Amino acid sequence: MPRSWATENKPHRFCPGCGHPLALKALGEAVDDLDIQGRVIFGCDIGCSLLAWDFFNLDSVQTHHGRTIPVMVGMKRARPGLICVAYMGDGGGYAIGAQHLVSAALRHEQITVLLANNSIYAMTGGQMAPTTLPGQKTETTPFGRDPEKTGRPTRGPEMARLLGGEGVYAARGTVANVRQLKNYVKKALRHQMEGRGFSFVEALSTCPTNWRTGAAETWEWVEKKMPAEFPLGEFGGDAPDGRASRPESVLREGGGEG
Amino acid sequence: MPGKDFAAHKYVDGRGVFYLFPALCKGCGLCLEKCPVDTIGWTERTGFLGTSTPAPGFGDPCIACRLCEFVCPDCAIRIDKIAPDKTRVH
Repeated sequence: MPRSWATENKPHRFCPGCGHPLALKALGEAVDDLDIQGRVIFGCDIGCSLLAWDFFNLDSVQTHHGRTIPVMVGMKRARPGLICVAYMGDGGGYAIGAQHLVSAALRHEQITVLLANNSIYAMTGGQMAPTTLPGQKTETTPFGRDPEKTGRPTRGPEMARLLGGEGVYAARGTVANVRQLKNYVKKALRHQMEGRGFSFVEALSTCPTNWRTGAAETWEWVEKKMPAEFPLGEFGGDAPDGRASRPESVLREGGGEG
Repeated sequence: MPGKDFAAHKYVDGRGVFYLFPALCKGCGLCLEKCPVDTIGWTERTGFLGTSTPAPGFGDPCIACRLCEFVCPDCAIRIDKIAPDKTRVH
């Protein structure tokens, strides 16, 4: 168990087989490796991600509907020495709270966002989310999601990178590969600590309860079906020649809001 | 911060020592499916939710790759590698 996890309230409240604790394991191990436990503020959103409110031995705050990002932005602006991590699900980040993600990426806010994408609204019983895969059956799409009627799934890291330009570190990992996800989270935290701008990591996650899958189908979903729609990897961060890309250079070149 | 101690079921198999914490295991079965040598299977010992708990010894010997430890959402598994016997002549 990562050192930054609080052991008193384990076992945690997530369902059996949930991907959230795996994403939080990656975050916890990244915090341990960077030895920044005393400086990190952890903010969680509403939805299943709120069950993480007492997950860590970190100062934590819980907010509603994607507002974790502006709360963390406020904390970072008031106390720039802190390392602010906003944790949310795909419903909070891409649907009702998308405006905050967009604004934070555009303004190069110096925070890290970790978003768990399980392609469904899990806490409310499995309705269609912005990230629901084409053809996926949910409570509100009983015949499978039809992209003709409801559009394509939202791709967050690509969007954040497009909006913010070079100063944004965006990556997509998966809970099927916690080591890779941990490296992405570490890079994102370093990005923030070095003051290089907004960092965003999406973790492809699991929801066996609402997908109604057993363990084998759960792995098939998250390892095969989801990466086919959501490509894994990093979308920017350091410039190709190895120099650290800074938001100021983006502004100077007219690539940002400037 | 005062820690909480969890009692473990201990199994020795192949190249690893497999510790299973029944107070954390929710019986999701992700470890069974991820194991590359299919050594993990269900036992009759139950976890805190009344579900079966996993243990090694059902397939090829454990290679101590620690994949089950990495993918356990509840941190209910710990793998210790058994140090190779250096006195043995190959």
